[in-house]
Amino acid sequence: MITLVTGGTKCGKSSYAERVLESFGGTKYYVATMNPVGDDAQEIIARHTEMRRGKNYITIECLRDIGDLDIPEGCGVLIECIGNLCANEMFGSGEVNEAVLKITEGIRALSERTAELVIVTNEVGSDGNDYSPDTMQYINEMASINRCIAEFADNVVECVYGLAVAYKGKAIC
Amino acid sequence: MKMIIGGAYQGKVGCATKLFGIDEEAMTNGSTCDFDEIFTAVCIKSYHKAIARFVAQGVDPIAFTKRLCEENEDVVVIMDEIGCGIVPIVKAERVKREATGRCGCMIAENSDTVVRVICGIPVYLKGTPDAD
Repeated sequence: MITLVTGGTKCGKSSYAERVLESFGGTKYYVATMNPVGDDAQEIIARHTEMRRGKNYITIECLRDIGDLDIPEGCGVLIECIGNLCANEMFGSGEVNEAVLKITEGIRALSERTAELVIVTNEVGSDGNDYSPDTMQYINEMASINRCIAEFADNVVECVYGLAVAYKGKAIC
Repeated sequence: MKMIIGGAYQGKVGCATKLFGIDEEAMTNGSTCDFDEIFTAVCIKSYHKAIARFVAQGVDPIAFTKRLCEENEDVVVIMDEIGCGIVPIVKAERVKREATGRCGCMIAENSDTVVRVICGIPVYLKGTPDAD
């Protein structure tokens, strides 16, 4: 099963994603995509690590090249999150790179060997500001990635203040 | 009248083609079109950009949208949702954002179908797929 979890900032996406994997009996991997630099990142990482304590996840850091992840077949995998992965792919090398195909193909390949895959992404295109061209490209690529994953996902769920709204497939409570 | 809304790049134009059979070439582009074209358009995309141009050029967006609703009853209006996030500091940005909200409410009220697109997936806020 493939589940895409979207929503605004701090809307309960991570908790929901973990709930999806709660009943999974096999080996579980947590794929962390955040660049661990800066105070904010350290705070977020500490909070998310605390959330996962005792839940038996193997944590793998993956800032880019998601398709190269070395995860055995039949596992449960939580990827958190596309927003960071996309930023790392696009802006990580000093020049702006296109990320859509690399990320979507990487995740599609991963989904073919996972038993349960949960992907946390972000909604970044609804505040109506005209940002710099690089940022507009990021907003565009994030939306393209989300649309593409939504096509092959079984479930597409938006979290709203912790409530899960299913747009495709179904949401668990 | 029908309306398709959603955040930027969510797949609104693709949904207009899929749900209502309108090809992108047949759409009037709110970013660039002559304002008068809007009253006879089959479908207007980026209507929020047209509203921004009305505001910038001193055209009353509310009066314009009211006329659109009266004169082009079968049009499909596609526009971004832009009201989330922080209220802009610059007054012109606030005026534009508020005008977009008011015009959007008017279009939704006059539409038999309102579809919100997220991750390329259409969600009916008003009307049903069967009615199309």
